[in-house]
Amino acid sequence: MSKLLRKFKTGRYFGITVLVVMAVFFWGIFKISSPDNFGSPKLMTDYLQTSIQYAVGGCGLYFIVVMGLFDFSIGANIVLSSIVGVLLSRQFGYFGLIFGCLFCGTLIGCFNGALYSKLRIPSMIVTVGLMLVLESVANYVVTLDTSGFPGKLTDSNILAFNHAPWNYIVAVSTFLLMFFILRFTKIGTYCNAIGSNELVAKNMGINIEKYKFIAFVLLHFFVGIMALLTVSYGRGMLAVTGMESMDRNFKPLMGTFFGIAFKKYGCPVTAIVIGEFIITMIFNGLVALNVPTTINDFVTGAVLLIIVTLTNRGLKGSVVK
Amino acid sequence: MNKVILKSEKLCKQFGLMAAVKDVSLEFYEGEIHGLIGENGSGKSTFCSMLCGIYPITSGHFLLNGKELKVKSQVEANRNGVSMIVQEMGTLPGLTIAENIFLGEEDRFMHGIVKNTGAMNREAQRLLDSYGFNRIAASQMIDNYSFEDRKLIEIVKATYFNPKIVVVDETTTALSQTGREELFNVMDRIRKSGNTVIFISHDLEEVLDHTDRISILRDGELIGTVNTKEASSDELKRMMVGRVLDNRYYRTDYNTPVSDEVVMLVKGVSVPGSIDNINFLLHKGEILGIGGLSECGMHEVGKAVFGASYSRKGSVTLADGYKVNTIQGAIKKSIAYASKDRDNESVVIADSIRDNVCLPSIDDLSKKGILKNKKLDGFASKYAKLMSVKMTSIQQYVSNLSGGNKQKVVLARWIGKGSNILVLDSPTRGIDVKVKADIYALMTDLKQQGKSIIMISEELPELLGMSDRILIMKDGRINGEFKRNPELDEKDLIAKMV
Repeated sequence: MSKLLRKFKTGRYFGITVLVVMAVFFWGIFKISSPDNFGSPKLMTDYLQTSIQYAVGGCGLYFIVVMGLFDFSIGANIVLSSIVGVLLSRQFGYFGLIFGCLFCGTLIGCFNGALYSKLRIPSMIVTVGLMLVLESVANYVVTLDTSGFPGKLTDSNILAFNHAPWNYIVAVSTFLLMFFILRFTKIGTYCNAIGSNELVAKNMGINIEKYKFIAFVLLHFFVGIMALLTVSYGRGMLAVTGMESMDRNFKPLMGTFFGIAFKKYGCPVTAIVIGEFIITMIFNGLVALNVPTTINDFVTGAVLLIIVTLTNRGLKGSVVK
Repeated sequence: MNKVILKSEKLCKQFGLMAAVKDVSLEFYEGEIHGLIGENGSGKSTFCSMLCGIYPITSGHFLLNGKELKVKSQVEANRNGVSMIVQEMGTLPGLTIAENIFLGEEDRFMHGIVKNTGAMNREAQRLLDSYGFNRIAASQMIDNYSFEDRKLIEIVKATYFNPKIVVVDETTTALSQTGREELFNVMDRIRKSGNTVIFISHDLEEVLDHTDRISILRDGELIGTVNTKEASSDELKRMMVGRVLDNRYYRTDYNTPVSDEVVMLVKGVSVPGSIDNINFLLHKGEILGIGGLSECGMHEVGKAVFGASYSRKGSVTLADGYKVNTIQGAIKKSIAYASKDRDNESVVIADSIRDNVCLPSIDDLSKKGILKNKKLDGFASKYAKLMSVKMTSIQQYVSNLSGGNKQKVVLARWIGKGSNILVLDSPTRGIDVKVKADIYALMTDLKQQGKSIIMISEELPELLGMSDRILIMKDGRINGEFKRNPELDEKDLIAKMV
């Protein structure tokens, strides 16, 4: 019996059970506190639709965060890719929108990966620089839109991704792709190996630079998909400056933290998806309670820290960076 | 006639100024277990790391079945039929057991870009079962298994592909008796299949019980190869450490009395898994040497008295009754610590000599929290010059200094702080003769000033030459104590170490 319990406690079903219990717990808390403004089936569907766009970005971020890298430019990529998608959609409809978001996103990933490899400086520094560059480029690209509604998705015929079923189809396809890459390709194994011990991975003959580059490309491909959902949900995108795009980095990152924390149970994708849902639920639950934004951010941040700390505590004396 | 399967010819490895392996020419036969022994730093692991492509060869070469072996990574070595089970953890957390076993060899299970994870898990499970490790599930995350189980998984990883040469580097220290037996069974199986095991261990009994021939390295040089049947433990010990004692750099006084004043009382200190019930006194102006084999726990003693050990039990009490429990408390009470792992635990590599020297004295050098460059420069210059650090200026980065000069920076830091008790772990590790002499002279000088030193060292001549008293540790406990005496020699210490 104890052997079975031990097996369960170290397996993916345990991880998923913990996540589901947490989701139910938070739903229960807010439902009791605000029965009329929170947790109805309709509202839960809204929370889910909101959370899946962040979960898509969170999946992409997982590839580099698991290797100990970070990318500050994903918010700027979302802005630029969305604007490029909107611009191309004016000419080519859905094809332009999808191609614009995904191609632009992936291209930026290639650029980031190449620059990180060539410059050989920390990813944070490279991507902060790139964030500023991409924000400026987005501000230039938006001026090319002469429709009179720069950055806006004015054609109601290309809004399929801002509601069911297409937003779910895109998101679920992305999660399946992520699961496939992690479980059925070398990329997933090598990203984990590099993050675990780069030197040992190198000694195993793994081409570290190549896989870091691939990780950046994959990240931004997923960010491109997130841009597609974001621009559809918002029916457009505003070009920003002065690092304002940075705000878009953090919600996907929260899901990634869940993924990293639950990696040991073998269910990072599920953890990212449910984790984002929990975070969205907490956020909306606090809004339903009329809690001021500052308190809302405080509670959301604190819950994230508590969950990640409880599930991913380092050994005593281990160096945590 | 035994057939030579592997041969090294005039093999050398240089790390900066230090020669870790010098002109080693060795032959390994088909179907033998060949023991490789020597003191720490004798070059055993470096020799095998070159064989497995972990370190590049400085000069010389390996011949495997008569053909030159040139490998740049462990995977390349594996593909050439050479594998290694390393001293440290050789598996990666965050991966499944199957992923660990086949890391770098996934192509066997690839169909285009798709990895057949199911087939990989099944194959890994089949291998685990064939080794008798069927309690381990291949599809599970490796994080769910103990250190010992991970070592067993590593054995499978290193041997499943029937390599011609398997290096077992100090693996037994991580295993229980059952785990050791399992390892020895695997080694026997390899020998019977006509392949060769190179077995590195500090446990001489183990080496004598399980090898056919034994080669001894000392200071990177090959001392000799003996048939195990004709070898004795005493002879091996003599060959391992029996160098001519060189007294040129050491203290020559033998009758200088040590003060009765106790400056530190270490009572019942234990750290789970490392040291057990350590008790000793440290006197004013005393150099207390602590020696033993590398894994005997002596390095943990240094950390424990400095308040740097986790889960420490027992007490470290100073003359004024203060109990040392934290690093901050230790520094406040004038205790200094120089770690064996100089680059990771002693110096801030990516920082200047000035900042490294000033680091623990920042509070003393600041005025109401404000630091003045002139003061910091003056302080760092004074102590760096006192220690004769070879530098272009105090702004030079520590990463550009040699090992010896890095150690001088560490000592300058603590001398500048005015520390009265210095815990020096392997103070002359990897240091050339000239700097060694400087450090010994400094220690003698500090002793004469009434400072007390705990010197932890794997170098027997250093312990004999510098210490007023020597504690020898074995398996985490103090196993012998010797007072300074011209008659005392390495054999006396070794008898308590091994």
